[in-house]
Amino acid sequence: MSSSTTSPASSTVALPKTGITVPVAARKLMLLVALTAVAAPLAAARWGSGSWPEALTVSLKGPLTTANNWIIDNRDSHWVFLYFFGHISNAIISAVRGVYVVLLALGWAGVTAGASLLAWRLAGVRAAVTALASFAVCGALGMWVPTMRTLALMIVAVAASVAVGALLGLAAGLSDRTFRVLRPVLDTMQALPAFAYLLPVVLVFGIGVAPAVLATVVYAAPPMARLTALGLRGTDKGVLEAVDSLGATARQRLLTARLPMARRELLLGVNQSIMMALSMAVIASVIGADGLGDRVYQALSTVDVGAALTAGIPIVLLAIVLDRTTSGRGPRLWAGVPQAGGTPGRRLGEGGHNRPRSRTRTATTWAVAAAAVVALGRLAGTSWPDGWTVAIAAPVNHAKDWMVDHLYSGIPGIGGSADWAAHYTGWILDPLRNGLQALPWWGTIVIVAALAWLIGTWRTTLTAVLSLAAIGVLGRWDPAMDTLSQVLAAVAVTLVLGFAVAVAAARSPRVDRLLRPVLDVFQTMPQFVYLIPVVALFGVGRAPAAAAAVVYALPAVVRIVSQGLRRVNPGALESARSLGATGGQQLRQVQFPLARPELLLAVNQAVVLVLSVVIIGALVGGGALGYEVVFGLAQGDLATGLVAGTAIACLGLMLDRVTQPVKAKAKEA
Amino acid sequence: MPTVDKNDETPVFSVRNLWKVFGPKADRVPGSELAGLSAAELRERTGCTAAVRDVSFDVRPGECFVVMGLSGSGKSTLVRCLTRLIEPTAGTIAIDGEDVCGMGKGALRDLRRHRAAMVFQHFGLLPHRTVLDNVAYGLEIQGMGKGERRAKAAEMVEKVGLTGMEERRPAQLSGGQQQRVGLARALAADPEVLLFDEPFSALDPLIRRDMQEEVVRLNRDEGRTMVFITHDLSEALRIGDRIALMRDGRIVQCGTPEEIVGSPADDYVRDFVRDVPREQVLTVRRAMRPARAGEADAGPALDPASTVADAIEAVARTGGSARVVDQGRCVGVVDSKCLLGIVAGLDRDGPADGVRTVEKAAA
Repeated sequence: MSSSTTSPASSTVALPKTGITVPVAARKLMLLVALTAVAAPLAAARWGSGSWPEALTVSLKGPLTTANNWIIDNRDSHWVFLYFFGHISNAIISAVRGVYVVLLALGWAGVTAGASLLAWRLAGVRAAVTALASFAVCGALGMWVPTMRTLALMIVAVAASVAVGALLGLAAGLSDRTFRVLRPVLDTMQALPAFAYLLPVVLVFGIGVAPAVLATVVYAAPPMARLTALGLRGTDKGVLEAVDSLGATARQRLLTARLPMARRELLLGVNQSIMMALSMAVIASVIGADGLGDRVYQALSTVDVGAALTAGIPIVLLAIVLDRTTSGRGPRLWAGVPQAGGTPGRRLGEGGHNRPRSRTRTATTWAVAAAAVVALGRLAGTSWPDGWTVAIAAPVNHAKDWMVDHLYSGIPGIGGSADWAAHYTGWILDPLRNGLQALPWWGTIVIVAALAWLIGTWRTTLTAVLSLAAIGVLGRWDPAMDTLSQVLAAVAVTLVLGFAVAVAAARSPRVDRLLRPVLDVFQTMPQFVYLIPVVALFGVGRAPAAAAAVVYALPAVVRIVSQGLRRVNPGALESARSLGATGGQQLRQVQFPLARPELLLAVNQAVVLVLSVVIIGALVGGGALGYEVVFGLAQGDLATGLVAGTAIACLGLMLDRVTQPVKAKAKEA
Repeated sequence: MPTVDKNDETPVFSVRNLWKVFGPKADRVPGSELAGLSAAELRERTGCTAAVRDVSFDVRPGECFVVMGLSGSGKSTLVRCLTRLIEPTAGTIAIDGEDVCGMGKGALRDLRRHRAAMVFQHFGLLPHRTVLDNVAYGLEIQGMGKGERRAKAAEMVEKVGLTGMEERRPAQLSGGQQQRVGLARALAADPEVLLFDEPFSALDPLIRRDMQEEVVRLNRDEGRTMVFITHDLSEALRIGDRIALMRDGRIVQCGTPEEIVGSPADDYVRDFVRDVPREQVLTVRRAMRPARAGEADAGPALDPASTVADAIEAVARTGGSARVVDQGRCVGVVDSKCLLGIVAGLDRDGPADGVRTVEKAAA
């Protein structure tokens, strides 16, 4: 396997503090070697080496096609569809339509003014200005209607995700048993690529808005549930005891103490749900969600970079507005929220003010403001005025053509972007893929087991091995190895770049200050939009998919690693310095070992994030498993798509478990 | 205070044979042969930890009852058992003669809301509420209307000296100020008894002194009954009317500060109080000897409750002996010899004979 995933394992052995784990690791490895020595020849003799043996696969194509046909035949007659799924579907469709009609009725001026007011109320003046400018740009790009369609879908999906997530989180926060059951499920769901969620809903609901919203809810509810549960469980025991000592009832305890004290996590949960929902609502264009994502999807399928960018910019702007408005960096959301202590989230709010609430703005002022917004909307008209749009597609395509001519290749000395892409594909991806596919199937399983066991526990090992075997049984071994090769190569690049940048950021406050806003913006963008620039730069193929994956995963890696390095106990660093350690020695011997949990978490996140983009990279020619999903959807061949989707889920599970350190769990608990 | 017109003999809290055992099947420990085991043996044999072992005491109306012990001696568990924040394993607790262990949910809630309020070491303030709303929180729990509870809370805020800080949040206050909020919150419900769980351990020494004086004032002026948990001996001696000294879940000695310092029950207590400045705790009642002829009329007069330190000052000023006067009658005299004897600890092997004689003579 590639060096990328072995590095955390080998660092385990090199650490000074893991004096106990060295023999443990050795013992684990020896046991595994012994097991392999017995089982592998047998397996090889029985089924042969090389790719996953034909004898061990189960074809699900027949039964799945039958099931799919049955569902299509019975969708309008069977009671399950008529009285259950049908109602769900209708409710979603009418909700989305209702919101859309309201948005249209408010008109462009009304929506823009309303959004700005809301942003101002929740997050202050800067967010309001951002909202105002962003909506104006969406309109100016001629994307008003698709933006409103995406927004309508988002509003319904987010409301449902937050409601479902909060209920689940409440249950898990109050009951230990629910928490124990729910937590691994939520963790796993967050590790799976978005694509894996699409096909099951399509199987039941067909293609359209309803399955798109449902897939979005399934994808976006877990972070809300998780953070709600963590927030409720994390409330200060001392305060709860004091509340009890005053004679509070269980209800009073929940409403006046536990929920308000979990406010920070609840807000973070809403924010993350919104961002996940946007990300998924855009991807769900593959299964019939119209709006901005659909425009990008259509444009990418014809490699029309100009049109893709025209629809991609509003997505990015929407992401920024939604994040700025709900991430709670403004004074109001944080009023009264204690700032001390770390948060279990990707973003740490800074500079919160404990300003007391001013009660000057009353309900009446808000009613007046709302009325004014509506009136403004009615006066200004429903749709964005045609004369106010700017067509950027043509100039962008022009620029792209120029790039194709001048940057793709032949720049003296450094080559060109297409050359790099070709080198990356030819020198790295192809050998890696061929190597993985040539490796005996049992060899791959042994390597996965060894890595998982060294980093995690026997449980994670078992899950990883079973997931890998499931891919083989499904008959998707070769495409999965193809996807795996892309993931491993991209993860290696991500980690090398990410660690380098993170070390720089951790050592120099200036680099950190410069980097922070960039990371903020990059982390808010949906995975989908990263495909647009890479297509412009590298054309179509596996290399641009990898580039998009690296760019998408990099911010998270940089953030986690630099935070880990900076949080290292200053006492330990000081003592190392007092002993005369050089900068490099401090880094190698103190900071890296002490930040080991964060480093492993960074590897885990890199793997999960890279996989999710490599899969949607199928839309720009990434091939492999992702392509089979897209192909299945496009051809109506759900059996192929579902099998590939399941294989993706298994691959995601395997990669997550292989890189899942034991400590990552203990840390948040 | 509701207790004032009651019979003073009814204790506010009456605790009998109280046990709290943590661990699996905890209720088999009290009353069985396991009860006699040491902590380590008990843990080894049953996996249980006995935090409170067979504890009995009474808290009298208006007194400040201090429970003192090192960390892990079970004192915090004990005070939580009083309002069943921790459910006792065995034994009885009565408040004003009413059984606490048998109380239903509603009655227990009522007890916590109106009769016993607690102040915590780590304050336990709600971080998202202002000072005023924190103080009013207990009243809100009781269902009191907004205007009324805020007025009451404002009164309490003034009482603990936080006027002007009503709109701040706990995170904006110093530790001492936060504990004043905790105190105000406890006082707001006008409880019959205040429970303190190491309330000042987290505070700076100077602020701790201030707060201790505040507590003493509440106890003396308002006659509030208090149960005060501390690990700090000087704090216990300063504010306690009676002190129960705990070790490994048991009360090893229970008595007035003077009894604890002057007549330690065993070597553990003796070791504990060795560094206490005795002249500041022991009273002249312990130091005095019978008056000889002529001495009963001359020299400065001292109250029997005044400390040896006060007597030393009086004696050093005049150079002669001082009279101990109880209700106009001279019950004994102290001179530099008997005062020095106290300071030097010559009375340590049990109460000096002289004291007994004098007390008999006085009676």
